Amino acid sequence: MPRQLRNTVERLDKPSSYAASKNRRRKNYRDGDDRDKTPEFEDKLKEATTLYVGNLSFYTTEEQIHELFAKCGEIKRLVMGLDRFQKTPCGFCFVEYYTHQDALDCMKYIGGTKLDERIIRTDLDEGFVEGRQYGRGKSGGQVRDEYRDEYDPGRGGYGRALAEDLGD
Amino acid sequence: MADEGRFDRRRDGGRDGGRDRGYDRGYNRGYNNNRKRRYEDDEDNDRAPPRRRRYEEPSLGKLRRMLLEIAETSMKLPEDEAKDIARLLGDTFEEGDLRTKFFDIFVQLLIDQPFKIPFAAAVVFYANDTKPEITTEALKRTTERILEAVNEGDWKEFKLLLRFFACLQNLFEGDGVFTLLHQLFDSAVDLQSANENDVVGLELVKIILLTIPYALVAGGSDYQGQASELLQKTEIVASMKLPLETIVEPYAEDSKEKPFPYHSIIGLLQTQLQNEAGSGWEFGCIPRFSKPVPRHLDGESAPTSHKHPFPAISLPSPVNPGTKPLFPEAFFSLYADQEVETVPPTSNIAASLLRDAIVDTIDQLDFNRIAAAKLLVEVDCYWQTGTFVPRATGYDKLKDIPEGQSTWKPEDMVVDAVFSQIFKLPNPEHKLVYYHSVITEACKIAPAAIAPSLGRAIRFIFKNVDVMDLELSYRFLDWFSHHLSNFEFRWKWTEWTEDLQRPDLHPKKAFISAALEKEIRLSFAKRIRSTVPEDYHPLISAGTEKDRPDFKYDDDQTPFSEEGKKILVQIKKKVPDSEIQETIEAIHTKAAELGIGDVMVPSTDAFVTSICCVGSKSLSHVLFCIERHKERLLSISQTSEAARRQIVSSVVKYWKDQPGVAVYILDKLLNYSILVPMTLAQWAFLDHLGAGEGLADSWVYEILWNTVGKVVRSLRTILTVKLKTDLQPEQRASIDKAFPEERERMRDLFAYIQDSLKPVAEGSADRYLEKSGSGELSDEDAAIIREWGKRWLAVFTRKALVEEAVVGELAVEAKVRLIAAEAETESQVAADGHSATNDEDEQI
Repeated sequence: MPRQLRNTVERLDKPSSYAASKNRRRKNYRDGDDRDKTPEFEDKLKEATTLYVGNLSFYTTEEQIHELFAKCGEIKRLVMGLDRFQKTPCGFCFVEYYTHQDALDCMKYIGGTKLDERIIRTDLDEGFVEGRQYGRGKSGGQVRDEYRDEYDPGRGGYGRALAEDLGD
Repeated sequence: MADEGRFDRRRDGGRDGGRDRGYDRGYNRGYNNNRKRRYEDDEDNDRAPPRRRRYEEPSLGKLRRMLLEIAETSMKLPEDEAKDIARLLGDTFEEGDLRTKFFDIFVQLLIDQPFKIPFAAAVVFYANDTKPEITTEALKRTTERILEAVNEGDWKEFKLLLRFFACLQNLFEGDGVFTLLHQLFDSAVDLQSANENDVVGLELVKIILLTIPYALVAGGSDYQGQASELLQKTEIVASMKLPLETIVEPYAEDSKEKPFPYHSIIGLLQTQLQNEAGSGWEFGCIPRFSKPVPRHLDGESAPTSHKHPFPAISLPSPVNPGTKPLFPEAFFSLYADQEVETVPPTSNIAASLLRDAIVDTIDQLDFNRIAAAKLLVEVDCYWQTGTFVPRATGYDKLKDIPEGQSTWKPEDMVVDAVFSQIFKLPNPEHKLVYYHSVITEACKIAPAAIAPSLGRAIRFIFKNVDVMDLELSYRFLDWFSHHLSNFEFRWKWTEWTEDLQRPDLHPKKAFISAALEKEIRLSFAKRIRSTVPEDYHPLISAGTEKDRPDFKYDDDQTPFSEEGKKILVQIKKKVPDSEIQETIEAIHTKAAELGIGDVMVPSTDAFVTSICCVGSKSLSHVLFCIERHKERLLSISQTSEAARRQIVSSVVKYWKDQPGVAVYILDKLLNYSILVPMTLAQWAFLDHLGAGEGLADSWVYEILWNTVGKVVRSLRTILTVKLKTDLQPEQRASIDKAFPEERERMRDLFAYIQDSLKPVAEGSADRYLEKSGSGELSDEDAAIIREWGKRWLAVFTRKALVEEAVVGELAVEAKVRLIAAEAETESQVAADGHSATNDEDEQI
């Protein structure tokens, strides 16, 4: 068997450190017996056809996302991330392709480029499950938008929790 | 467009600071961070005390870093870098598993970063002087990989690894690489005589021709006779025109003045090499390395360099053509043979050598576009000094360059190479969006250098967009709109203002309209309107800026407006289907009274338009709505052809101002089998074509292109299953039945499309004759329509031919034979496995 050789430059189609650390956190909560039974994180992503897409503007539409992401292959499903309370887009989405290769290509060719004039972030994802479309921040959006101290007009201005504090 | 050039901090800095850190910075390499990074780097290099780990850096890590970064910086001569690596490698060669790991990286470098092949070879070249074992190991490891490539039919890897051997020509006994080149030629002849359209043989000849220059530069004049002999042999193959060749021509075959004449890559190579032979085989662009200075001057040991036998490599029969279908290749250039020589002329072998290495760099590094772009921007580091003018030399400054010096602009070479791939027919190596992303990154790394070249490229392409192959002009459209979306939609639109006076049907006017429409899809109408001069505003219709399109039944003048409104409410309120049925029957009754032939047509229009309207909030909404009414839609499409086509018409009409949404919905309707591919073709040619004006709408092309693409992909998938050797008997039976059926269906679709286009191209279609006869169609428009017809026909004719080359009877038989042959060799290898391994061990 030939060894799997490392490329001489980093690959852009690897899961991010965020995805890996999320997995590590999850593992730590489990007790030892369980850990052996769960399929390895890397294995799960080996066949991944879904991408998490972040840093979208709240105003970016499904149509825009589709137009860009379809350049890497036919899209099977597109799930917009919504504010848990207001049910309005809150700046992320899941894009599911039919094939793993399309998802990898999207990491390589689209992640880190612009959509709606913002640099977007893509990450391989183990697959969408109901409930994950909602923001997990206190006020309903994404956690990162709670305490952001930079003004971002595409993502609701200042962080929401911060804005509240300032209001008080 | 950053055409005028954003201030580029890296313009001069590109060659020094910030380049010694490898590629692992990922996205942080954007130019926005330049300032900060430069500062950090300065600190690293000059002020900060060297980190402790530098002293502890293990040999392997150090060797790895030195090797990977070879030639990247012009601070040090690459030759000295190669000598340093050779020396360190010699000193540490016996350490643990260092040699294994070092050559893992080494061989991978040859494949990942083709620019560095001559430099990697130089390392071995210098190491051989003191430690011939290093050469032995390098040859052994490269041979292992090259044999894998041969077996898998990976001819790209084969070519790159062979180039490494060629660069070591003077270390081999006898004729070295030339013996293998002669063998390759014999294989090519066998393949060619077996099949007139064979391209694997052509590929082998191309590899021979691309290897000769490197072997001659390394081997010296002793081998010129060998090279001439090979050239005489390859001439017949290289100068032949294949029957399939016309389908890869980038400009319409019969266009009066081609912007750039057709050259096959291989034909061009042959001529260029013959020219080079005439001028003493100079190959001025290939980097040179001086011979090692003999160290033992006291005469103790004679300074004869150790020679090695050339590795045993032979091609199997039949030759594995690889997984990707090969086609003849055209040489495409935006800048070659023009008034100012910004790239090598097509008569010069440098045109092919540089192009080949740049294209391989792009294609091999698709997994890191940022690294690819960085290598491209620094292309001049990897060729003989003096090959190019300094980076970012302005086009206008080239005239000041003294006679006899190169005027080749490195950024023109790079932009030319990327576009040669975007415009490669039938398909480039990777998805088109990859090439978009490489250009984007190159613009981010070196805007002042790349952007002006890109601007000239865009101008050249637009100037010729009407004679360009239609598929390519749509690739350009897609790239252009996507590229601008990454750069604040900046472009000098005023340059094209005059073209707005042309008739709407004219390809240039149609291109401009389509480009705006594509930009809007990635953004929104108001934003795009703000980026173009006022003259362009009429091209963005008022409807585009509406939140949702008008519902035509809201207008009481629309026939069946009452029923239409009712269905809309019923769908919104999610009433039982039986209630919708009542409304539909009401339409049928009314339509029958009005004497409408197919009553399903008005009812389908009302129903589908209502679905579009209810679903107009977002793609998810319309999908949800379609899914909910899937049964009714399916039954409509099974009732009559007219009703089926009405589904398409209603969707297209509702979304006329945002055709992207219509394209999306129709695609989903295909997935649900509510529509079949043929319906979309029939709609296009029976309902939308008119006298041929319909062919100027880019989104109609898009609909048909997507549809055909879907059919083709599905058939190829079925073929993949069919070619599996481990199918169950039932699976085998069902797939053997399904495959030819689906193939016939594909052929029917292609035949229908071609039959519908031919009369348009010839100007013999009924509606066309009517309209041009009555004067409704001006002579100018009539001529334009015939051109559209020809260009459409060329695209779909090619597509049909390409698919035949993949799924046609002959192609399938050949694949089956190859699989059988492979299975046979495998069982043989398994049988001889043991002894073979032993042999290999003995060699070491």
